Amino acid sequence: RKLLKECCDPGQLFAMTKENSPVGKNLWYDGEFLYSFTIDNETFSLFPKATPFQLPLKKCSVVGNGGILKKSNCGRQIDQADFVMRCNLPPLTSEYSKDVGSKTQLVTANPSIIKKRFQNLLWSRKAFVDSVKVYNQSYIYMPAFSMKAGTEPSLRVYYTLADVGARQTVIFANPNFLRDIGKFWKSKGIHGKRLSTGLFLVSAALGMCEEVTIYGFWPFSMDLHGNFISHHYYDNVLPDSGFHAMPEEFLQLWFLHKSGVLRMQLEHCEDSIFHPAS
Amino acid sequence: MGYTDPTSSRDLLGNRALLFIFVCAFAVVTLVQQILYGRNYLRSRLQFSWQNGEEMANWTSSSLNFTDGGALRNGGDTGTRYFDFYEGPLEFNSSKCLELRKGITDVKVLSMVKQTELFERWKNLQMCKWEMNITQANIFKATLLRCCNAPAFLFTTQKNTPLGTKLKYEVDTSGIFHVNQETFRMFPQEMPYSRSQFKKCAVVGNGGILKNSRCGREIDSADFVFRCNLPPISEKYIADVGVKTDIVTVNPSIITERFHKLEKWRKPFFNVLQTYENASVLLPAFYNTRNTDVSIRVRYALDDFESQQSVYFFHPQYLINLSRYWLNQGVRAKRISTGLILVTAALELCEEVHLFGFWAFPMNPSGIYITHHYYDNVKPRPGFHAMPSEIFNFLHMHSKGILRVHTDACNCC
Repeated sequence: RKLLKECCDPGQLFAMTKENSPVGKNLWYDGEFLYSFTIDNETFSLFPKATPFQLPLKKCSVVGNGGILKKSNCGRQIDQADFVMRCNLPPLTSEYSKDVGSKTQLVTANPSIIKKRFQNLLWSRKAFVDSVKVYNQSYIYMPAFSMKAGTEPSLRVYYTLADVGARQTVIFANPNFLRDIGKFWKSKGIHGKRLSTGLFLVSAALGMCEEVTIYGFWPFSMDLHGNFISHHYYDNVLPDSGFHAMPEEFLQLWFLHKSGVLRMQLEHCEDSIFHPAS
Repeated sequence: MGYTDPTSSRDLLGNRALLFIFVCAFAVVTLVQQILYGRNYLRSRLQFSWQNGEEMANWTSSSLNFTDGGALRNGGDTGTRYFDFYEGPLEFNSSKCLELRKGITDVKVLSMVKQTELFERWKNLQMCKWEMNITQANIFKATLLRCCNAPAFLFTTQKNTPLGTKLKYEVDTSGIFHVNQETFRMFPQEMPYSRSQFKKCAVVGNGGILKNSRCGREIDSADFVFRCNLPPISEKYIADVGVKTDIVTVNPSIITERFHKLEKWRKPFFNVLQTYENASVLLPAFYNTRNTDVSIRVRYALDDFESQQSVYFFHPQYLINLSRYWLNQGVRAKRISTGLILVTAALELCEEVHLFGFWAFPMNPSGIYITHHYYDNVKPRPGFHAMPSEIFNFLHMHSKGILRVHTDACNCC
């Protein structure tokens, strides 16, 4: 399966770079029909030269935001990985760090969050700059070219962080990569409107890392022992139904876990028995 | 065919006649316009070209009845005579100066005299010392208190614009801004300045007349300095315009054009504002609906960088009152300029007001062509501001001793 991932070449196409997206290239939004974006000089100047990670990465942790992480004690184990990926600007305050860790190398941010929580960065930007400080020196991965409405806010995130000289760097998701991954999983039987960020990240991680352990991916309202858990480890806000096909995605990940392509952590972590399977 | 031919030719004639009438009507309208508005302007241009030769000779022309060309030539003679015993600035109250000042105040409307004549009279006045006429100034300030009252209404404050106020826009008459908590928080509690708080103020316009004026030091010596529209005060202009700035106005259109409404990068804008150090930023946020968001964003942008600079918004009612006042004084324009607003406000906030860089003519008083701004030569949209008329009012006020207009180079260094 790892070989199958090469269909999408995450190493090269994961993010928008000067190499894979020259000026004047037409990009089709992967989340919409009929719209495209032409890369102009101004946007081009925001891209990094090449994919900014040292490939291949060794041990990666992909951290979902599932409520199963709550009281899991996995923080330490997550932090032990070389590369930690997180989804959708999750909170990393001290009350959670025991369960989810504090290290971050890559965090995704949805334009919709920027819109909801930070008024699209049109007014005060300080709250946003302060809120991403917890991610230290990491990359903020934004699907800028998935939806038409997401482009402006995503670019604005870049401007904002560059303006204040923040330590975070914004990189933009490559819509072609996202589309290829989407097609790939569709052929495997996932029928949501759109893949979740988590699955994108796992797919990317599988293409870029030697060992992948995933945490917090558990889309059900009960844990393995039948205890009710919240939707996220930090809140219990349910998403709009019908957008993502979480259980189907989980099933696929479960297959991968079974076949040993990645390791899925569902139980509480105990430091002594940390034997990652690859 | 035979029958239709004459009818068609008559028709053609009718068309032609119609066309002729149109052309005539157009010509008449143009002519009337020329007579009403353009006559003096055209004449002054002609006058200027033939008079150019003796420009140098009659720079001290003292003739006071400039009603025709003959008097002008006469002025040449007196000028040379005058040159002999001219020994430095004349006293303010000397009879000569009284006469010279009357020469300016006698001109009731700008179109009454040729531009060159006005320049001549202005130039002659420069050899008189300027002094403040306290009575005149106080009368004027009392008028301003009644109409506009800058020490209470220049900015929107928490006092004059309580939470929930429905603020009327200055020009968008249908537009109303509801003062919400968020905006209200940005207002200062009270007007930060009081009546006649500052002794000597400088209002710096951006006119090309400032170029090579070397007035920088004199401007910087003022207690309070106003500047308009984010002018450059970089190293190469310092000698002419100074650096001290206490209030700088920013036109939202500049933010829209040069800084993408602050929706993208904000640092370049912040860097520009930082050149004014601790100056307060003053914006016409409630001029029209388009200005509001951009202006408010200035406050946020400064907050982003934790800047201590204050941001103030002009109170729209103050601007309405001010426009009305100046309209009565003959300033007919779509909008009064920021310069005029600042000067009027300064008259209430300061005891003594000095104007630099206010000269809205294509040539300086000696007839030498100057650039539009001291930093560039980009002409504004025509018909938006009535600059010459504003300057003319300043010259009047200068002659009355209410404020002082500097158009000459400063003697410094």
